[in-house]
Amino acid sequence: MSKWLPKSAAARRWLGLTPAYVMIGIFMLVPISIMAVYSFLEPNPYGGVLPEPSVAAYVKLFLEYDLEDNLVFNPGYINIIFRSFQLSIMATVICLVMGFPVAYYITLQPENKRNIYIYLITIPFWTNLLIRTFAWIIILGRGGVIETPLLNLGIIDDSLKMMYTDGAIAIGLTYSYLPLMVLPIYASLEKLDFRLLEAASDLYSSRFQIMTKVVIPLCKPGIVAGCILVFIPCIGAFIAPNLLGGGKKLMLGSLVQFQFASARNWPFGSALSMLLLSAVVVALIFYARSARKKEYIQGTA
Amino acid sequence: MTERDLKSSNMAKAKALPVGHYRGLGVWNFFFMVFLYAPIAVLIFYSFNANRMVINWTGFGVEWYIKAFNNEDIQDAVWNSLIVAFVATGVATTIATIGALILARGGNFKGKTASLGLMMLPLMVPEIVTAVAVLIFFATIGLNWGLGNVIIAHITFCIPFAFMPIRARLEGMDTTMEQAARDLYASEWETFRYITVPMLMPGIVAGAMLSFVISLDDFIITLMVGGAGSTTLPVYIYSMIRRGLTPEINAVSTLLLLFSVAIVTAYWFVSKKSNTKTVH
Amino acid sequence: MPAASIDVRGVSKIYNPGSQQPVKALDTVSLSIADNEFFTLLGPSGCGKTTLLRLIAGFEQVSGGEILLFGEEIAHLQPSQRSVNTVFQHYALFPHMSVAENVGFGLERLKKPKDEVVSTVKRMLSLVKMDHLADRRPSQLSGGQQQRVALARALAPSPKVLLLDEPLSALDLKLRQTMREELKQLQRETGITFVFVTHDQDEALAMSDRIAVMSEGHIQQIGSPTEIYEHPVNQFVADFIGDSNFLDGEIIAIEDDIVTCKIGSESVFEAENSGNHAVGDQVTLFLRPEKISLTHSTDESTDNHRRGKVSNIVYLGNEAAYTVDMGDGISLMAQARPKEDGNLPFAIDDDIAVGYSNRALRVLAK
Repeated sequence: MSKWLPKSAAARRWLGLTPAYVMIGIFMLVPISIMAVYSFLEPNPYGGVLPEPSVAAYVKLFLEYDLEDNLVFNPGYINIIFRSFQLSIMATVICLVMGFPVAYYITLQPENKRNIYIYLITIPFWTNLLIRTFAWIIILGRGGVIETPLLNLGIIDDSLKMMYTDGAIAIGLTYSYLPLMVLPIYASLEKLDFRLLEAASDLYSSRFQIMTKVVIPLCKPGIVAGCILVFIPCIGAFIAPNLLGGGKKLMLGSLVQFQFASARNWPFGSALSMLLLSAVVVALIFYARSARKKEYIQGTA
Repeated sequence: MTERDLKSSNMAKAKALPVGHYRGLGVWNFFFMVFLYAPIAVLIFYSFNANRMVINWTGFGVEWYIKAFNNEDIQDAVWNSLIVAFVATGVATTIATIGALILARGGNFKGKTASLGLMMLPLMVPEIVTAVAVLIFFATIGLNWGLGNVIIAHITFCIPFAFMPIRARLEGMDTTMEQAARDLYASEWETFRYITVPMLMPGIVAGAMLSFVISLDDFIITLMVGGAGSTTLPVYIYSMIRRGLTPEINAVSTLLLLFSVAIVTAYWFVSKKSNTKTVH
Repeated sequence: MPAASIDVRGVSKIYNPGSQQPVKALDTVSLSIADNEFFTLLGPSGCGKTTLLRLIAGFEQVSGGEILLFGEEIAHLQPSQRSVNTVFQHYALFPHMSVAENVGFGLERLKKPKDEVVSTVKRMLSLVKMDHLADRRPSQLSGGQQQRVALARALAPSPKVLLLDEPLSALDLKLRQTMREELKQLQRETGITFVFVTHDQDEALAMSDRIAVMSEGHIQQIGSPTEIYEHPVNQFVADFIGDSNFLDGEIIAIEDDIVTCKIGSESVFEAENSGNHAVGDQVTLFLRPEKISLTHSTDESTDNHRRGKVSNIVYLGNEAAYTVDMGDGISLMAQARPKEDGNLPFAIDDDIAVGYSNRALRVLAK
């Protein structure tokens, strides 16, 4: 390009990619590797770690020492992990049920209207998650937007106690990541050739069958992508369980944060992070597989 | 029913609802949008509450906005947020632009897929994991630059957001434009200067806007990585929420919200304009 | 003899060399294009014609051989160092520049003085009748207008050779026909060598001084449009250009200019001797449908007359294509004009006379 750049294409290439490698490599890959190492060390009670190898952090997931120093099964953390998956899957399913008809409806609209709807769905996603979750405290909370009119009308005579429940967390998660479900489904529906629906109808399919036999199979990659995109941030969520679960109904994300911010058990926090990371990797492998299948279908078409 | 009746009723039905259309979709979509926007509307509404309890509506007032404007902690947090967002956006967009150019125009080379994966890595790792990993890293190497630590973390996770629209733009850009320029006696540098950069500009602007919004809105990573003097606006809002709900939170939140919406709307128009431009 | 404008000597192009599936796009191709010539590279998609054009332009590097531009080797030069310009298939007009800026782009890169740039742009735009739209953006132009701007842009730096990569393929039929004439006229006016790539035989026949027919990375035949049409060297060329009847058989006798062939089990056809054939050779005979005359009763004016039965008719408006069953598993395609009242002269199952001259039936080498 200019005189001061190396001549060979390969040298230029690596020179150009170096800043990205340095930033993401040093400040992402290396930290995660260090974290992996820390998960196998002893905790330092004042924060940080002691340089002694140990699997205590992973043992702590299942077992604890009782008063007589015997290792006994402790379901506490397993329950939190289980709840994390349960709530994440629940939020993902609700997002799918809510989002699919909307994505489909948008696809049916003329182009200018489609753009407006997509804009409307994108906007909340780009606005602050903390603020959007906070809004739900005002809605669900004691004396909030839902309760107050009901109390005033005498329909209920005590707080509904909607806050600090699994339900509140599920609503918060759903609300947080709903756009991530609609957008990929819309993207795949948009490419759908609507003449296929007419062909199916011509070949004696009912409306229900058109949906189940043609539309859903053809936009499955979009559905899978949407589910993965919602599931991954849900499983690591911190804000929704923290604000709407009140720090009592913990999820994996808030548990990790707790280990670093308050409990000062870095190895255990690291171990939990590794667990979180492996859940994400599994989800991504699942996604890559279905994407490959999609390529296969398109390749033979 | 006679055959003719059957036929005409079928036809009437078909006219009312074409193939592929389903009843109730519009209503569903309406309630979906209500669900999406009601919380935001409630938030904005209560920011004008005169009472010092958020949920206890006693009358309209803008005093919480005035209070927020005069709150020095908020002013500091806003400054921190803007400094972080501007620096992170500038650096991340530059890195992403060069990276995208090489990955989209540099031909096939060994390690291309891996490089692409690396670029997108910050998108795939859950935020909380990034947050604690970077926290551990900074603690281990003893790096303590205050706001600098936050900026480094922000650059890292902004790279994929800047990278995506730039790369999309490049992929949609035909190399024949560059070939045409070379054919018309433009040197490599002139081709880059007069053809590639102007045509890529909408992608770069879009990428920068996205990183800016992402950086501005980030909470969890900043909370974990940032020290005492590096409180950004979202982190400050979080501490306000923990202290007790006053309409001041709503007022600040509303302002941050409107700012993000303004940037995203600008992004929307930039990307829409660039889309119509590439269509022949 | 003056130096050819383009001399392609033994040029090969292999994509993905050394990989699992190397693709040989061009295999030691040689051709020479004269100055001021309208030269067409014609062939089906994937025949290597566009690759050859891109090698001349410099967008791809040759795998072997050399390319000379007026005697000067250019195969290793950058596209910006070759005084050839390209009209791209989809025009490749810079969307962020006005029409005038597009046309002036090459001149500015060549560091021409400002006033010369302005006057040349003006001249070029009036040459392609686009002077009134100089300030428009490409996206505000129709396909035909974009085509003209692309031409003006490529001609503005006065290249020694203009390369055109299927420039008419994106236009609709009527416009395509107008542009054919304009292109031919433009070539005559500017006196620049045009190398034109197309897969459309009509375009090639209508505009070219000479045509190179290509297939699978090889040149099959180079010649004037009439040579290519009337004297194809092999079955590929005969089949690719125009309609043809092909008869597979064996030579049973050669006498002066006449070759006698046995077709099917017992039919004997005589054809013009096109060269090195020997008795016993397996050959293909070739006969253009329009060289066959169909009549009700035998036409004594033709060298050969046979009888056959109409087995199929395709009505085309200005004429009708007949398939005539000649017996012995042989059928011939022929054409006949509708009668003055618009009715067709023959009907299915009619027993008709088929006549042709000896010179119309030719032997193609296998």
